[in-house]
Amino acid sequence: MTPRAAYVHVPFCRHRCGYCNFSVVAGRDDLTEAFLEALARELSELGTPREVDTLFIGGGTPTHLKSPSLVRLLEIVKYWFPTASGYEWTVEANPVDLNPETAEILAAYGVTRISLGVQSFQDRKLALLERDHRSREVRHAFDTARQHVSSVSIDLIFGVPGETLVEWTRDLAQAITLGPDHLSAYSLTFERGTQFWNRRKKGELLPIEEDAGGQLYERAIDTLGAAGWEHYEVSSFARPGYRCRHNEVYWTGGEYFAAGPGAARFINGRRESNHRSTSTYLRYLSEGRNPVQESELLDNEMLARERLVFGLRRLEGVALIRFQQDTGYTVQQLAGEAVRRFLDMELLEETATHLRLTRRGLLVSDSLWPDLI
Amino acid sequence: MPPTSGHLIRNFCIVAHIDHGKSTLADRLLEYTGTVSQREMKEQLLDDMELERARGITIKARAVVMYYPRNGDTYELNLIDTPGHVDFHYEVSRSLTCCEGAMLLVDAFQGIQAQTVANAYASLEHDLAIIPVINKIDAVHAQPDAVSQEMEQSLGFESTEILRVSAKTGVGIEALLEAAIDTVPPPEGNPEAPLQAMVFDSHYDEFRGAITYVRIMNGKIEKGQKIRFLRGETTHEVLELGQFAPTKQPCDLLHAGQVGYLICNIKSMDQVHIGDTIADPRQLAPALPGYQEPQRMVYCGLYPSDGQDFSQLRDALEKLSINDPSFDFEPETSDALGFGFRCGFLGLLHMEIVQQRLEQESNIDLIQTAPNVTYEILTKRGDTLQINRPQEVPDSGEIAEFRQPIVRVRVILPADYIGPVMKLCQERQGVQQDTEYLSPTRAILTYDLPLAEVIYDLHDKLKSVTRGYGTMDYDLMGYVAANLVRVDVLVNGNRVDALSIICEKSDAERRGRAIVKKLKSELDRHMFEVAVQAAIGARVVARETVPALRKNVTAKCYGGDISRKRKLWAKQREGKKRMKSIGQVDIPQKAFMAVLETGGDS
Repeated sequence: MTPRAAYVHVPFCRHRCGYCNFSVVAGRDDLTEAFLEALARELSELGTPREVDTLFIGGGTPTHLKSPSLVRLLEIVKYWFPTASGYEWTVEANPVDLNPETAEILAAYGVTRISLGVQSFQDRKLALLERDHRSREVRHAFDTARQHVSSVSIDLIFGVPGETLVEWTRDLAQAITLGPDHLSAYSLTFERGTQFWNRRKKGELLPIEEDAGGQLYERAIDTLGAAGWEHYEVSSFARPGYRCRHNEVYWTGGEYFAAGPGAARFINGRRESNHRSTSTYLRYLSEGRNPVQESELLDNEMLARERLVFGLRRLEGVALIRFQQDTGYTVQQLAGEAVRRFLDMELLEETATHLRLTRRGLLVSDSLWPDLI
Repeated sequence: MPPTSGHLIRNFCIVAHIDHGKSTLADRLLEYTGTVSQREMKEQLLDDMELERARGITIKARAVVMYYPRNGDTYELNLIDTPGHVDFHYEVSRSLTCCEGAMLLVDAFQGIQAQTVANAYASLEHDLAIIPVINKIDAVHAQPDAVSQEMEQSLGFESTEILRVSAKTGVGIEALLEAAIDTVPPPEGNPEAPLQAMVFDSHYDEFRGAITYVRIMNGKIEKGQKIRFLRGETTHEVLELGQFAPTKQPCDLLHAGQVGYLICNIKSMDQVHIGDTIADPRQLAPALPGYQEPQRMVYCGLYPSDGQDFSQLRDALEKLSINDPSFDFEPETSDALGFGFRCGFLGLLHMEIVQQRLEQESNIDLIQTAPNVTYEILTKRGDTLQINRPQEVPDSGEIAEFRQPIVRVRVILPADYIGPVMKLCQERQGVQQDTEYLSPTRAILTYDLPLAEVIYDLHDKLKSVTRGYGTMDYDLMGYVAANLVRVDVLVNGNRVDALSIICEKSDAERRGRAIVKKLKSELDRHMFEVAVQAAIGARVVARETVPALRKNVTAKCYGGDISRKRKLWAKQREGKKRMKSIGQVDIPQKAFMAVLETGGDS
């Protein structure tokens, strides 16, 4: 079965934030043309356009592209991935870049959803995270998005060094006031290869305590839940009917196309990712070479295990009968002993139809997965 | 060379504290007597093992013959080298038995040190003629007069009999050789009596087999004859015999009073026992007195840090034990560390030497557990058990008496530090025996202490409280009943066998607390609270709690994260498999090592 979802990665950014480990180039707008050409070439390998239900253009900062380039990007994507009726098309945007002209273009090409990288409403946090916008710019960008697409999502980051419950509660309150349809709340992680990683090693940045991080996370779950957002995945909250369908494809074992530097695809049981370095990606395509850096064919058991773990990250959990039908394995076969242990410890619970995380299990879920994968 | 007549033979050794110049003096004597030329002189000829040179300690005894003409006679001087540390007390005593005299060497700056005293006492016990010598008189800070006074006061020498030399420059060497001839009595013993020879050392030669060092007490040995090891109960033919000068000089006969070596095609060192008596099977004489089995007082576990090197480690230990029969080992399995060996040593220094030799000669990375001493338990059924590791301690209900080895420790130190050192010894259940002043500024403190305390940290602590000026030495006094207990370590109520210790009951809380604290710091948080406890039987004496994991959840999960996370979690799963799981608590090897290597002290 051919995938019904597609991801396109746009690597350009004004600058690289200290915590970011995505495939990104900063201050290299001169590569825009080459990128668009490479992307077109990579996608042309599809042979024929593929109809999809969900599309996601992420980055980097897709909206960092100048209007003519943005138009060309959308043209290319739309050509190769024509959308079926009822589709969802998300584009990530930066509050500073999202002016009415940009939003107009996105809407004109059929983008239905904008994911705004707000991260915080607190200028202290924004400065620490090295974001190029400040709190007062968020409202304006949000309103612009609202006027042009039917669904707006915002990202928030919690647990930055020095963050208190008070500061985070203020972020949550301001987010609720702003009123997006969807909200992703990410706890800050220190990834190898980032400046934050090095600064933490040097002792310049002090991660918050584990217990404090737990408190912030629970505060988000409780506050957003009370305000009517459904907590449907570890870090994702949505008003009813506004879940990110594209991300749900990732989490439920669905397959997807992908293009752009560092982009990962999943087709016919094979997981692949492109070269993460933008310049290598561009060079490979200009030389007519395949930009894939890693490729791995998963056997049925591994596919089933992935589906179990990523399914459990969704709050509704794994539907047991459906799981067996789709994967050919029962959960019992895959990880009976561990599941029983986690049930005993009340980290997992069973409903009539589903196996799912308890609140406590959710909070420590990364410690469960090694026993299930 | 015709055999030397008995009255022209002098057998002696040099005894000294570490670094007081014993090896340099031996070199000068060899050079002065023409035994080796200056050109041949390798620095510190007698210490031919790199390790010994690095430590400045002569570990294995050797004997060298020198010839010295005087008044028309040629004297045969046999210099018998002795191990310089109390761990080798028994070997030292066998070497001293083969001598009639000893040069007691004292550094002109450092003065009398702990091993000076120990060596002097040992020499006196063996009725040796002692030649007191102050060495390094040419050194910048030398104070030979003060050192001379110390020697008069503490060891009872006359100032006129104390010789002053510089082994480095050769000053005073001739007078020393003259004194050796004049002071050291010639050996007694009857060349016509049945053969009695003392085995005082041996080493293994890859091509020739065992080289056995002997002192002929009575009778004689000839090439080609049969000899009998009375203790080893084996008979061999003498293929070669001779003396070292300092290389092998074969001859046809060794007679009473002489010192030399035998080669008998002995392929297993198990057959050569230090202290054994060699006799003539045709005319068996009684054994010489004083034989003992080597007494291993300190045990520790040695494990390859990579589990796959087990057989390599076994080979290395076997190779090492060929030349060092006083060290023994047997396989053991530790829950924590996998397959390894329980190794017994004469003492702490002996243990360190073996470990270093293993690492240097075999290139094996070792994990060494904290050492413990050998305890004795008298059970209520009347059996006496030797306890080499805490796991062997039976239930307290079965124990009638729990005994530990006590040593007499002599500490020589600047008088300023007497207070702190007394405090140190008292804290470790020391019982003071004596305080003696060597001079107004230096003293000897004598304490009886449990050996366990000495090996635990006494030496390090002594060095630190005396800023490196204190030296110590000890002699084993025997086993004494004590209020000892086994302290177990429990995680969530389950005993971690590998971490049990034996200690004084009154000390159990302090030791237990140190261990549980250390272990706590090495454990990851689990999904449940983990109690780390130290307990005597069912009574908990220390407790730490590792709180339950509160948050471990990474947020982001885009399409590209799926492979990455799957691999990360799979790797974590493999890591968990390598940990030891005790009652669902995962204990990394690193945690065992941290506790075992330090015994809980950081």
